[in-house]
Amino acid sequence: MLTASGINVSYGKTQVVFDVSFEVADNENICVLGPNGCGKTTLLKAIAGILPHSGAVLIDGRDTNAMRRREVSLKIAMMSQSQGIYFSYTVYDAVMMGRYLHIKDGVFGSPSSGDRDFVADCLKSVGLLDVAKKEISQLSGGQLQRVFFARTLAQEPQIILLDEPTNHLDMKYQIELIEYLREWSRIDGHSVIGVLHDINLAMRLSENMLIMREGRTAACGRVGEDVTAKLLGDVYGVDVVGFMRESLNKWEESMS
Amino acid sequence: MKLKIWVTVIAALVILVLGMAIGSVFVTPADSLAIIWHKLTHTAMPASIKATDVSIIWNLRLPRALLAFIVGAALSVSGAVMQSVLKNPLASSYTLGVSSGASLGASLVILCGITLPLLKMFTLPILGFAFGLGTILLSITIASRLDSSLENNTIILTGMVISLFTNAVVTLISAMSREHIQQLIYWQMGSFSLKDWNTVFILLPITLLGTLVVVHYNRELDMLTFGEEQAKSMGVNTVRVKWILLVIAAAVTGSAISFVGVIGFVDLVAPHIVRKIFGSRHRYVIPMSAVLGGAFMVACDLAARTIVPMQDLPVGAVTAIIGAPFFAYVYFSKRKGDA
Repeated sequence: MLTASGINVSYGKTQVVFDVSFEVADNENICVLGPNGCGKTTLLKAIAGILPHSGAVLIDGRDTNAMRRREVSLKIAMMSQSQGIYFSYTVYDAVMMGRYLHIKDGVFGSPSSGDRDFVADCLKSVGLLDVAKKEISQLSGGQLQRVFFARTLAQEPQIILLDEPTNHLDMKYQIELIEYLREWSRIDGHSVIGVLHDINLAMRLSENMLIMREGRTAACGRVGEDVTAKLLGDVYGVDVVGFMRESLNKWEESMS
Repeated sequence: MKLKIWVTVIAALVILVLGMAIGSVFVTPADSLAIIWHKLTHTAMPASIKATDVSIIWNLRLPRALLAFIVGAALSVSGAVMQSVLKNPLASSYTLGVSSGASLGASLVILCGITLPLLKMFTLPILGFAFGLGTILLSITIASRLDSSLENNTIILTGMVISLFTNAVVTLISAMSREHIQQLIYWQMGSFSLKDWNTVFILLPITLLGTLVVVHYNRELDMLTFGEEQAKSMGVNTVRVKWILLVIAAAVTGSAISFVGVIGFVDLVAPHIVRKIFGSRHRYVIPMSAVLGGAFMVACDLAARTIVPMQDLPVGAVTAIIGAPFFAYVYFSKRKGDA
């Protein structure tokens, strides 16, 4: 159970997120949507404890601001938008980094057989087991994105935060990823908080949505109840639902 | 991987022995090793070995070669750390201004004859460290004002500007005290000549300890190369780890430089080659940078004192002649990669 209440985030003197509150129950997911630059990524980083914020993020009732970094990271893992690779590692080694907090501290911090098995499982889940020995600098954008997702899974968190996880992915992998997340979130009190550009994919992940506009909550709740066609139209400045219907019609006409 | 490590370590040892054997007086590698062995075990020298050779090897070349190795290792390890922490393949103590800061500290010591109370012998390394750390802090502070991600070339440019400025201050100071000018100029080019066992005994523990602490943080370094946010998200206490590592890097370089003068580019070349051979994981990058950087420095010093007979060239000039084109190569191949 994650509760965010009254989150404010600023970069220096510029405030980017204003008084955002929402709640995610165990085994539930929520999508964060909104136009470019509305503060979605910033909100996500604040929840992950990466950016300083005011207001409270509670995990099962405990305030993350009062927790140590390792305690937070054992609960929440965040998969960021992939950035440039400066130094290359093998796929396997990169995913093993996600086990950081689970590996016993030795001189070198060598992984146990349990850690190795876990990483192999994560690689299998994202379909990268056969390229485990490849250097990540030689991967395609989509493969790299899946490496980062596997690394997030390797962290064994209770809550996964995703920032545009479907970027660079083929449609097949986009759908697979969302399906995987839905399965994942059904057990062990897991939850996913996802920032997604694609509203269709968002609908597949969860009917709970937090719609943001200029750093503020425009709506928070279930699609069809709190999140209406009119609201989406206002926030995005286009008739979102109308556009989807029109697209569907076009597909039906041309494919029939 | 094991094979590569053994080959590198053995090659480094061979270079170290050659570094002792070759010189104006050639002592065979076998004799050199025999001299070290008998000195260490306190047994009598075989009659076939000349007393002058013993003195040359034990009092001059061994400490000099060891010092070159230690300094090369120290610079390379800290270079590797700075590159990873700042996510910038061009970062090094030389490009970030640690070297010139340390040289400012050292020239103040040499010129003004400052000695710290109680820590007389450590005055030079301590001030070298303090000034080195001061400059890197200044570089990073200014650069992060201009560009908070520190990912592009801002940090390198800032470091260069601060280096040039600090060097100018050193030049001004030396110009005002003519009796020391020769000493200072030579020092600014870096040299291992006229160094004895004392320097080895001071720098060895500093470098060894620094390297061990850095190796201890090898996994954190791996994660930091993905950026501070990702490392944090995986559970690394980034602020603490980053500062520990940067302070150690500055301490190790600052103290090394304060004894032997400014020697650039090793810290850039060695980690880069190591990453090419052994991959990016720091459990290999750090120790192997020490081995390769040490060996490279011994070889450069060997070149510095043998290329022109009877003359000791500044080793900093030798490393720069090899390193500057290499720097250009890394810089431009990186830019091509960006485009």
